[in-house]
Amino acid sequence: MVSDALSLLLAKHGLELARHLRRLVRDDDVAADLLQDTFLRAHGALSRLRPGSNERAWLYRIATNAALNHIRTRAREAAALERHAAECRTPPAWLADDSPGGAHTEPDPRHTAVWARVAALPDRQRIALTLRVSDACDYDEIARRMGGTAAGARANVHQALKTLRKEFR
Amino acid sequence: MTPSDIAEDRAARQLVRRAFERLTGRSGEPVLYALMDDTPVGLIGLAAVPAGLRRLDYIRGEDPFVERLLALFPDRPVERSNALDPVRRELERYFAGRRFTFDTRVDLSGLTPFQRKVLGETVKVRAGHYTTYSQLAAKAGRPRAARAAGNALHDNPVAIIVPCHRVLRGDGSLGGYAGGLDAKAWLLRHEGALL
Repeated sequence: MVSDALSLLLAKHGLELARHLRRLVRDDDVAADLLQDTFLRAHGALSRLRPGSNERAWLYRIATNAALNHIRTRAREAAALERHAAECRTPPAWLADDSPGGAHTEPDPRHTAVWARVAALPDRQRIALTLRVSDACDYDEIARRMGGTAAGARANVHQALKTLRKEFR
Repeated sequence: MTPSDIAEDRAARQLVRRAFERLTGRSGEPVLYALMDDTPVGLIGLAAVPAGLRRLDYIRGEDPFVERLLALFPDRPVERSNALDPVRRELERYFAGRRFTFDTRVDLSGLTPFQRKVLGETVKVRAGHYTTYSQLAAKAGRPRAARAAGNALHDNPVAIIVPCHRVLRGDGSLGGYAGGLDAKAWLLRHEGALL
């Protein structure tokens, strides 16, 4: 429980600042948090408020800064998420040609979305592509490991790459 | 106010109540207050609960008035509100001399039965007239309790509307008044009870 100095501030200015914050953030739960932050912060800084200065304007400043901080943080978070999503869709080098990989044996987080799509390919395409890209097998080796012919392995890898190239450029 | 204004207003009030509850532990129906700052008898504070008007005080400023309300209602939120505009309009009519009676509902809970009886008798004294502390005590059923009647008036929570200014000493002197004797004299002259 906090002293009545905070109640006094809330009684006098609470309603006006609640309206102000609702206009700035347009989400009642966020506005409720910001309102509480504003008055807690104001109460904590009350002793630094010079006597005779405009208490109301001061509260407006605290509330506006809290709302702007919130909006900026939200925007930064949204941008970071978007960047991350874009990165996940970065095409790996092996997508450009069908040269055997080897450099990409460790899953690269930037290619998360590509690998998620690989997981959804038909079984033989998925296995052939994985052997080609991750284990750097040539087509004879893939045929030996999977059964079937080298030509069949090549067809499976090409079909897989064709599907992926359509979605990731 | 348009319906969307009303919805916005209600949502904003809800936020203030959440803040009160979370930060101060005060919850439930708020005590609403308003100020009248340019009356002939000075600065006036009004406070109401749903049951009616609880305070009409002569005050020195907003902060001391709100602090008094916070002390009188230690577990309630307190909120500045225009819900008291009808009371303010009645008081403006009174100060303009257009009407000397009030329709505002007052809430006298928290007072003793004797205090309520005294204040009830006080309301019957019409504008332009006055009575004395001992006459009032007699009407309240305790003829020898002039001083107790004076104390009951001193604790009148709604000045002007319960017109304790219309009660004088037996010798015709003004006695006391929460708003100061100048205010008491002004009110009596305004109502035509004094020259």
